[in-house]
Amino acid sequence: MESKFVFSPSPHIHTANTTSRAMIHVLVALVPSIAVALWHFGLPALEVLLISTASCMGVEWLVTRYMLHRPSTLADGSAALTGVLLALNLPSSLPWWMIVAGAIMAIGIAKMAFGGLGCNIFNPALVGRVFLLISFPVAMTSWPMPQSAFPLADGATGPTILSIFKEGAAGSQLPAYTDMLLGNIGGSMGEVSAAALLLGFAYLLAVRVIKAWIPLSIIAGLAIIDLIAGFPIIPDILSGGLLLGAIFMATDYVTSPMTTKGMVFYGLLIGIITASIRRWGAYPEGMSFAILLMNGCTPLIDRYFRPRRYSPKTSKAA
Amino acid sequence: MKKTFSIGGIHPAEHKTASPTITRQPLPMTACVVLSQHIGAPAQALVEKGQHVSRGECIAQAKNFISARIHAPISGTVSAIDNVTMPNGMSSKAIIIKASPEEHRADTEARELYWQRTLPSATYPAGIDAETVRKFIAKAGIVGLGGATFPSHVKAAPPEGAAKILIVNGCECEPYLTCDDALMQAFASQIVGGVRLMLKATGAPQAVIAIEDNKPRAIAAMKHACSSLNNIKVMVLKTKYPQGGEKQLIEAVTKQRVPSGTLPIAVGAVVNNVATAFAVWQAVCTSMPLIERIITVTGDIPADQQRNYLTAIGTPISELPFTLPKECRAILGGPMMGRTAVRLDAPVTKGTSGVLLLANRMRQPAKACIRCARCVDVCPMGLEPYLLGTYGRLRLWDEARAAMVADCIECGSCNYICPSSRPIVDYIRIAKQRSK
Repeated sequence: MESKFVFSPSPHIHTANTTSRAMIHVLVALVPSIAVALWHFGLPALEVLLISTASCMGVEWLVTRYMLHRPSTLADGSAALTGVLLALNLPSSLPWWMIVAGAIMAIGIAKMAFGGLGCNIFNPALVGRVFLLISFPVAMTSWPMPQSAFPLADGATGPTILSIFKEGAAGSQLPAYTDMLLGNIGGSMGEVSAAALLLGFAYLLAVRVIKAWIPLSIIAGLAIIDLIAGFPIIPDILSGGLLLGAIFMATDYVTSPMTTKGMVFYGLLIGIITASIRRWGAYPEGMSFAILLMNGCTPLIDRYFRPRRYSPKTSKAA
Repeated sequence: MKKTFSIGGIHPAEHKTASPTITRQPLPMTACVVLSQHIGAPAQALVEKGQHVSRGECIAQAKNFISARIHAPISGTVSAIDNVTMPNGMSSKAIIIKASPEEHRADTEARELYWQRTLPSATYPAGIDAETVRKFIAKAGIVGLGGATFPSHVKAAPPEGAAKILIVNGCECEPYLTCDDALMQAFASQIVGGVRLMLKATGAPQAVIAIEDNKPRAIAAMKHACSSLNNIKVMVLKTKYPQGGEKQLIEAVTKQRVPSGTLPIAVGAVVNNVATAFAVWQAVCTSMPLIERIITVTGDIPADQQRNYLTAIGTPISELPFTLPKECRAILGGPMMGRTAVRLDAPVTKGTSGVLLLANRMRQPAKACIRCARCVDVCPMGLEPYLLGTYGRLRLWDEARAAMVADCIECGSCNYICPSSRPIVDYIRIAKQRSK
């Protein structure tokens, strides 16, 4: 009999949830934050967003095409996502060539040099951001103050809540909670509105792209240090890159642990390190450093925190 | 909340559309009875070429304790004892029986009589002892009909006093398959009778018939059938794959876990399929050996062809009535653990639970692992499939052994859930073999 059957090992059915679908879900979850960024920072923000996304995708395409001689991997959506996340971690006033430099660092060095999607140890967008922060500290910490209704140029620069804290003039100058929620504060494009970020968080949980363990334990870790240091917890959570980092950066699949216990440990330490840098370190903000530090610990965390095994014990014969 | 196993698991689309009505597939004119259709040593042929055999006669004996007898599914003449090609393309020794039209007619009549009169009127044999039940089970050549085909008389003889609970598996957790559902709806009282006989044989004080909550009619039928017995209970479980896995089922029912590398009896459990219980009833109460079983025919075929057939062992699979999709995967068993067939002229064996025809949906090419941890979430054995798969791919057998690769039950959950379509189980199978 002529064989017209396909021979394949089991299983023969497969979930429809693919890698690129997960990337699209994350992009959708970022829509509220992008909208807030455009509302407050206007045309310059749109420029940063487009330049960052285009250069991240461009770098990946050039590397795969001319250095690795492999088919393009742009379709998986990860380069575009890195571009958007990098943009949201930058101030809207950043000159275009710095953004391109950040993209080369993020995709070229942090991602492709380590072997591409799935092989990178550190979160590419954060590597790009920290590279820019260290290289161009002035440009990276000049925060245009939010305006309204899609302004066509950057507003005057002003301090972030965290730098207000750091300079010790807390209290009187702090913005109201409503401004923190809606993004009417200084900061990176994507970090200003806590409400938009939380909306994205709810979406990611609803479509089951991420679990709540990492974000919640980051907040718990931060709260522990704040309690010890006697610092107000709520403004600390709502300010700076904490929510953007906790929801969108620390939960990056590739660079975070594989087990629930590992995720909780990783999150707690990110929270603790962030709060420690904010309270006692030289920088007003420590989220990026904390996440990158713990990214580096992820392989060790995976080694130590194993999943709950079915079998009560290993038999020697096996 | 309904009980289920505690670690991992998935819930793929069920597709349990095949009609639960059992259709009697006509007996074949030629039956090809494979000698190795159970786990253990192949049976030894007792007949010779040219010899006449009658339906139900023992034609091959068990070679040793872990082996099973085989009986003639039809009356006729042995035309050959030769190697035949199995669905997977490998060859296996088989006894080929050809029936004359008269023999075929007589067999068909006897079969009708059996299913319409003999079986429904059989009653529980009062005063039967354990040894007699075990003898009947061995004599009838019964093997585990859930798919593992482990000789049932071995399971029916646990060490004295070791069996604390008999778990009867009616989960049918594989998508698409409905043969156990059909059987439970049609023959609930016979299954319960078989369970009583198995309680006798194993010495277990109580039995639990475990059924997933997606089979309400089977649950109702089985509950009704055992309502007057206080040592047999129906337990409704939350639908989750791989609940029918022995270790998962034991945990769902008893909350106990079987230690790595030991058998269920280590925690006092004996697990048997509902179809096996039914076969025990047939063997003890109607002296009918295992020569027929129920097979689900389903998949991407017209709705009226998605049915359950009572089929004689040895019937060529291609005699079952279905129109083959143009290009397809022909899977024997369920979509999660079934094996694809390269040819369908091969015979039905004791372990054939279903013929699933899936229109050709090729596997997506494997992409990079993005460490999403889905495989770790769904692994019902609490392993790290991504890691085991990598060890298999990189030939790191010692590392695989240390990461407990031997515990993998190859349920395929990790492979199913992987968003990068990585063939995780394929690599794990290799690692399992090589790290032994």
